[in-house]
Amino acid sequence: MSSSTGTKIELQILNKIPEIERVCNSITTFSRQHSIDEKIISNLYLAIDELLTNIIRYGYRDEKDHTIYVRCTIEKELLTLQIEDDSYPFDPNKAPIPDLTNDLENRKIGGLGIYLVKNMMDDVKYVTKNGKNTLTLTKKCTIN
Amino acid sequence: MEVKIEKIEDINIFSLEGNLDSNTSGDLEKRLIPTIDANNTKFILDFSQLHYISSAGLRVLLSAAKKLNQFKGKLILCSVKKDIKEVFDVAGLMPIFPIYDNPEEAARKILQ
Repeated sequence: MSSSTGTKIELQILNKIPEIERVCNSITTFSRQHSIDEKIISNLYLAIDELLTNIIRYGYRDEKDHTIYVRCTIEKELLTLQIEDDSYPFDPNKAPIPDLTNDLENRKIGGLGIYLVKNMMDDVKYVTKNGKNTLTLTKKCTIN
Repeated sequence: MEVKIEKIEDINIFSLEGNLDSNTSGDLEKRLIPTIDANNTKFILDFSQLHYISSAGLRVLLSAAKKLNQFKGKLILCSVKKDIKEVFDVAGLMPIFPIYDNPEEAARKILQ
């Protein structure tokens, strides 16, 4: 389900991996309609993919359906992405930073997703309250 | 995502078409790992038709590279789009995955 008014889009999905592509594509279309730079759109696609994959893959301990809300707002050259869910809390800012200088043998396989997100967005904030997690990412963008 | 496999002499060329993400990385893994297990040591991954990669894709590649490393094998990339190259760069994977402009150059290098 999605609704789009002017500079905001809101989507509601279930915690299923195939839903992720739909969110990424919707937000891509929305960003293009607002003349966001292609490079930022590309980074945004990756960030959404990584974050939703983590929530859906690792965030739930039961087999039940859960709703995840994704909102994107573009205002005064600032793009804000918000993901709201009720999964097991995980603050990306507390995730260990992978060592990117290790040789192949010692290079850890995990942790890259969050690292890419933090690198591609300007700011990442995470709040968890009463069983609800809200992840807010921002990216400054020049409108073409 | 489609994975086309070609073998030229002892070089295995995997051409990926589409997106390598959490949905599709398992498909690559299912083809790549058994090929490594069958004592193949030279791999070129042609990314000319690959439009997108996420950490799930990087994970499969890293896992394959680690396995190959044990057998002194090589896995190199070619024809990588700019956006994907950036992901490798940010993830610190350029030293681990040499990238060449085209399959011919990659083949020359892998035989050296």
